Amino acid sequence: MNLQKPGTIILSTLHCIITGFVTGTLVSCMLVLLVMILSEPAGATAMDDMTAADMNRIEDPSHVRQGTLLFKGEQDFSRAPILKTDVQINITGMIARATVKQHFRNPDTTWKEGVYVFPLPEDAAVDHLRMYIGQRVIEGRVQERQQARKEYEQAKSEGKKASLVEQERPNIFTTSVANIGPHEEIIIEIEYQHIVQYDSGTFRLRFPMVVAPRYIPGQPVTPVEINVTKFEGNGWAVNTDQVRDAARITPPVPHPDKGKINPVTMQVNLDAGFSLQHITSSYHNIGIKQENETGYKLTLENNTSADRDFELIWKPEPGAEPRAAFFNEQKNGEHYGLIMMLPPEQNKGEILSREVIYVIDTSGSMSGTSIVQAKAALELALAELKPGDRFNIIQFNSFTEQLFQFPQPFTHHSLRQAKNYVRALRAQGGTEMAPALQAALHQTSESSGVRQVIFLTDGSIGNEDELFRIIKQQLGNSRLFTVGIGSAPNSHFMNRAADFGRGTYTYIGKVEEVQEKMQILFNKLQHPVLTDIQLTWGDNLTVEAWPQKIPDLYLGEPLLLTAKASSLPETLHITGTVSGKTWNSSMKLSGGKEQTGISVLWARKKIAALMDQLNSRTEQDEIRQMIIDTALAHHLVSKFTSLVAIDVTPARVKEELLKSQSMPVNLPTGWEYEKVFGQLPQTATGSELFLIRGMLLLVTGLLFAVFSRKFTRCYACQV
Amino acid sequence: MPVRFKKLIVVGLLVVLPLCGVWQIGLGSYIHAKAILAQFLLETAWSETLKGHKEVKPWPWADTWPVCRLTVPRLGISRIVLAGASGSSLAFGPGHLFGSATSGEYGNTVIAGHRDTHFKFLQELKTGDAIQLQTSNGGNIRYRISEIRVIHETETHYLARTDANILTLITCYPFNAISAGGPMRYIVIATPEITNGKMI
Repeated sequence: MNLQKPGTIILSTLHCIITGFVTGTLVSCMLVLLVMILSEPAGATAMDDMTAADMNRIEDPSHVRQGTLLFKGEQDFSRAPILKTDVQINITGMIARATVKQHFRNPDTTWKEGVYVFPLPEDAAVDHLRMYIGQRVIEGRVQERQQARKEYEQAKSEGKKASLVEQERPNIFTTSVANIGPHEEIIIEIEYQHIVQYDSGTFRLRFPMVVAPRYIPGQPVTPVEINVTKFEGNGWAVNTDQVRDAARITPPVPHPDKGKINPVTMQVNLDAGFSLQHITSSYHNIGIKQENETGYKLTLENNTSADRDFELIWKPEPGAEPRAAFFNEQKNGEHYGLIMMLPPEQNKGEILSREVIYVIDTSGSMSGTSIVQAKAALELALAELKPGDRFNIIQFNSFTEQLFQFPQPFTHHSLRQAKNYVRALRAQGGTEMAPALQAALHQTSESSGVRQVIFLTDGSIGNEDELFRIIKQQLGNSRLFTVGIGSAPNSHFMNRAADFGRGTYTYIGKVEEVQEKMQILFNKLQHPVLTDIQLTWGDNLTVEAWPQKIPDLYLGEPLLLTAKASSLPETLHITGTVSGKTWNSSMKLSGGKEQTGISVLWARKKIAALMDQLNSRTEQDEIRQMIIDTALAHHLVSKFTSLVAIDVTPARVKEELLKSQSMPVNLPTGWEYEKVFGQLPQTATGSELFLIRGMLLLVTGLLFAVFSRKFTRCYACQV
Repeated sequence: MPVRFKKLIVVGLLVVLPLCGVWQIGLGSYIHAKAILAQFLLETAWSETLKGHKEVKPWPWADTWPVCRLTVPRLGISRIVLAGASGSSLAFGPGHLFGSATSGEYGNTVIAGHRDTHFKFLQELKTGDAIQLQTSNGGNIRYRISEIRVIHETETHYLARTDANILTLITCYPFNAISAGGPMRYIVIATPEITNGKMI
């Protein structure tokens, strides 16, 4: 053995370590510079041709920084009643009647109250409640909301089984079931009816399955008074000055990693009344069985969870599209009618230059698949711009920001800026929609021509009424087109916003639909609109028709109205304006199809119209009373009336305690939990791991160097 | 042939292993270098902010800006806090959580930082220690630490709004964990010192 060897090894080791560190430091310094230069945020590369001053953040101190993190404490739902839903929908012509059975099963040994917040179509007329306890059935009665709540609370404290169905929003309802015994199951059956949507030659039925987490703007309010008749709700949000009932519309959402809950079965019996070209379910797998020439039985595939809207589409054979329909019902000496008429298609209008404001929701709820859909839709919409048009893009989350300070003429340069801007959009933060809406409607326009606002959002907000007020007050000559994005959009918001905005709404539920759905919207934008629609019912007839003001009709949209009269006239005359010219039509109302439930649809339309007036008119008490009267007369659930069912005999003795639990719901498909509910930030870097790994590698290299030298020498000796 | 082949592998490893080591050490030191260097650049941006400029970007392509300065007199610590607690801003300084109360505003002010760089000092803090926040209008708020605890990352109610004015500092826990991404967090809660009914 050569004694010099260990010395050289030590020397070379030291040498190696020193060079390692020196090079390491040098390299790191170079990397610092390099990465500092290259580590531009994603947005910056896209905005290469724009200075920071071009970007316009709209500062409104009263709106910014509110609402994102309005949490109540943690909730334990491991012992909450377990829910299962069975849905049966019968569609006859244009009317759908649905039965929703909610099974509340108590998995625990204690007594429970289950509170379930769920969605229904926004025009659903809920008129029946039944509570099944074993073999017994208890029929629910409609009561004024306060009264119903009082009766329910009374029964609850007396240990009687009771259930209550209340309306929070036109499309959000709450079922409460009290005194579910240990390991017992109670079934709540709700029935509702509504009109299927008919647009651009296609019939559409939506059944929403989950209330998506709503953003609650505003400052928290502390309850002034708490009493039994005033249920404050037990959602994840606290009530705020802008959303007074936030706690009632925010059911708890467990992390999706914990698995899907709330299974749904569904059966649809469809009798369209004409032969069909095709039937499709947009987002779910279904089994289709043809029963007769025009009748079909559709069954939802097993293992479906309530985590996204169900949509059924059916299209008549070419030439069989109905152009007019009349359904009637006689009830209590009154005639009720549902009238549908499709105005004849107009030729494409001459192309006027327009001003288009695109508004895109980039809040946390849009994160995931929704933002992808919204961006794709926005890019398509940008491609529709023509020279002579002016445009701007507004994005909003906790803040509102616009691409240009003022709408810019369409040029290759501005289009490129816009495309880059859209590409760089990321979804995070709150949903402060009001400033964005104001900015979109308020921007002064140089031309007095066509002004369109295309609004892409999932509508996951709790302050709908405030937003509707803004639209009504500030619409001016703009037209608002809502594009509902994602798996569970707020259909009430989309619909009403488009109504007040004198535009239309479009739904996009998956990326594959973007092209097709946007094309329908572009067609509508290109064709003349039928406006100022007036109805003449004939002399000496008092007809109460709802809606009172017929909305503007875009291409493919039918006139839809309900009427009540002591006798309906033979013919209905309709006039309107299209491209500046008067348009006339008439429709025969004799020999319509008899159908039960038309009166209910009429009452629902009336309530909807009155609810709109409630927000804008002064004589609120009067209107409120009219809503209550209509709802009570037609046995309907409304904002001011609820259905309540109470068992006669007490089931729970006073000594046993009752625990109230809000029932958890799924996070809608495609949503990202952390982006909505937040997460404590990631606050560690990998630096130590890198350093340790680097050291280990160096040491291994050294050891290897030492041993391999020995090894090769010995090996060479042997050879 | 086999001998030459073996030699090739040996030589290859002799070159590759130290190179990889150097690369990894480089990455590790880069994180620290960036964290330290950025704070120097932020000083300039912060003094601009104190002069009344809004959202001063420390370097032209930054997507964040300084919002306040956090100091701990006992430890001689001073950190410029950035807007937002996204990964990209936390690399340069502690981040003020988007949506929480801004410094000096009524409510819960939440600031997060990396446990191995800017917020490493959190482990040395004790209940009763003073923390100061310098706000963008030049004002100073003095806080006293009232509570220190270890929580799980899902306990987001620590971010919730509060009726009271508090300061919440968050970092990852344990401090000496080797890899990032653990579920535990270390939080420090401080309440403002009040004199004559006014915050000082």
